[in-house]
Amino acid sequence: MRSGRLWPVHLVLAVGAAAMVMPFFWQVLTALKSFTEATRMPPVWIPSFEWSNFAEVFEAGPFLRQFGNTVVMTAGRTLAQLLFCSLAAYAFARLRFPGRNVIFIALLSVLMVPGQLFLIPQYQIVQSLGWLNTLPGLIVPGMFSAFGTFMMRQFFMTLPAEVEEAARLDGANPLRIFWSVMLPLARPGLLALGVLTVLWSWNDLMWPLIVNTDPEQMPLSAGLSALQGEHMTDYPVLMAGSLMASAPIIVVFVIMQKQLIQGIAFTGSK
Amino acid sequence: MTGKAWALVCAGALVAGLAGCSSSDGGSSDGKVTLTYAYWDKENQGAAMEKIAREFTRTHPNIEVKLQFTPNKEYWTKLQTAAAGGTAPDVFWMNGPRIGLYASQGALLPLSDRIARDKVDMTKFPKSLVDLYTLDGKQYGIPKDFDTIGLWYNKKLFDAAKVDYPDENWTWDDVRAAAKKLTDPAKGVYGIGAMAWPQELYYNTIFQAGGYVVSDDKKKSGFDDPATIEGLKFWKDLLDQKLSPTVQQMTDNDPIEMFKSGRLAMWYDGSYDAPQYFRTEGLDADVAPLPAGPKGRATVIHGLANVIYAKTRHPQEAWEFVKFLAGEQANRIQAETGAVIPAYEGLQETWVKSMPKFNLKAFIDQLPYARPYPVSKNTAAWSRPELDAMTKAFTEGQDVEAVAREFAATMNAALAQEK
Repeated sequence: MRSGRLWPVHLVLAVGAAAMVMPFFWQVLTALKSFTEATRMPPVWIPSFEWSNFAEVFEAGPFLRQFGNTVVMTAGRTLAQLLFCSLAAYAFARLRFPGRNVIFIALLSVLMVPGQLFLIPQYQIVQSLGWLNTLPGLIVPGMFSAFGTFMMRQFFMTLPAEVEEAARLDGANPLRIFWSVMLPLARPGLLALGVLTVLWSWNDLMWPLIVNTDPEQMPLSAGLSALQGEHMTDYPVLMAGSLMASAPIIVVFVIMQKQLIQGIAFTGSK
Repeated sequence: MTGKAWALVCAGALVAGLAGCSSSDGGSSDGKVTLTYAYWDKENQGAAMEKIAREFTRTHPNIEVKLQFTPNKEYWTKLQTAAAGGTAPDVFWMNGPRIGLYASQGALLPLSDRIARDKVDMTKFPKSLVDLYTLDGKQYGIPKDFDTIGLWYNKKLFDAAKVDYPDENWTWDDVRAAAKKLTDPAKGVYGIGAMAWPQELYYNTIFQAGGYVVSDDKKKSGFDDPATIEGLKFWKDLLDQKLSPTVQQMTDNDPIEMFKSGRLAMWYDGSYDAPQYFRTEGLDADVAPLPAGPKGRATVIHGLANVIYAKTRHPQEAWEFVKFLAGEQANRIQAETGAVIPAYEGLQETWVKSMPKFNLKAFIDQLPYARPYPVSKNTAAWSRPELDAMTKAFTEGQDVEAVAREFAATMNAALAQEK
């Protein structure tokens, strides 16, 4: 019988899944504990349901405002990356122009440079634009990425050239071909890039902390970091805050996971 | 990112900062000035900082202080980036390992003239801390708080093993003997945690053995000095005799957590961790002064200071605020929270009383022989390699002396590059 042969596989997968879910489960439990329960040894399994932890998160900072900032920042970065990265990627994948490969290699070399090296020049540009402590200062530097371009180029390379040729014979110009023919075909790749950008942007901590000093202009990731002390942290409140911060992103992932995995498998990256 | 590349970025940031343009905005037409004050511990000290800022504005109505919080991990990156852009905060927290770099790059305002002019009494602060923030004869920071290291012990485990509690007469031999009696492999209890941490552990024993970390003229590493090596061996012997969890185990399980959960009977740790031990339910612990070594007593003292950004647009107002921070009132506010020991003389008692179940006086009693946290101009250039080398030295099967001597050469090379 089919299910009879599969049960060892299922057992292994179930153990793996349990191991993956455990940290989230523990996060939920900790968010509902009092401080002493959270730090007691041996660990306490049944929390005393301290819902006040969630209320404390709202007292620690402008939670809703920061939540809104995160949503705007993530949406801005993601939409822009989908547009700009796929445009550039299409050019690198299909258009012929002098120096194409040299430029592409130069672009790839950006991937080799650790992000910290960009911090200072990027900060100075944003400062000169007068964007410190503003949402554009958060969004604009994340609107394009070498990784996204590389990923989309690999995707476009896998698409059959015949479709494009047919469109060209029908008289479509490159922009038209890109928009009406290639882009719809690249949907799995776009979805994968979108989800990756959403995840990266949602969790981004260093850059927001550096450009924005006003809690009102910070995204959630930066705002929640205030809950962590140098020598001591109120774990239940921190967990309550991060639970509320990560819930939407988990939902996005659950809905999109099929496309995400497909997209990554397609382009062979990461 | 490697430590070297990082150091390069930091140095570059500071140099660029000098060439940068204007400082932060904050002035307005009605004569009101807004200062920014950057710090990194909101969870434990945020309330005290806010109260201090409020009190300051009450007595200085034309100056408002805006607190700028950044978590410790990102604080320095942010500060370097902002300094490179010329927009660092007006007043900010500084620590010992970083003062040399910031002061020597001209990022900080020298305070000596102002201290002399306004007759700020620097003898109110522990001398070793005042010295820590002095560079080439100039004072760059005024101590904010301080911490020393003590011997924390788990009373329940001591009672169970029928060992007397540590007191001020203890020596290294007493630690060794007690560790032997307290270790119980069957229960997973170890006598002591011998982790490769500098400030809390091996710097203290290096000083107690008569060794040094960096020479007074900051030109030579002490890690090839026989006394220094003896201070390191104290821990290595405990590790070799399995009286402590291995370094690997303590990398996987934070030794602080192991102490809290009753798996370490003794643990060298700073006064700054007192609040979390205080709040740990089920932990029956206390603290004693550090046991004496072959060359007597010593404990590492470190503390933060308040400094002023060299390119602040409001040096006079920033100085007024720093002066207020250095005063009795601001220090009393700090003491009452129990988060840190205020640097101001005579207020330590308030802190000691904030957690009555611990003998916190042990931290204060050690002041007469406290040794400043060892630094040089560019401490970061050797502190990371040091941590890697010592972690290796404390690992099973490694020869401490050989690793320490090898590291001394690395550190000497780093020191030679300082000007």
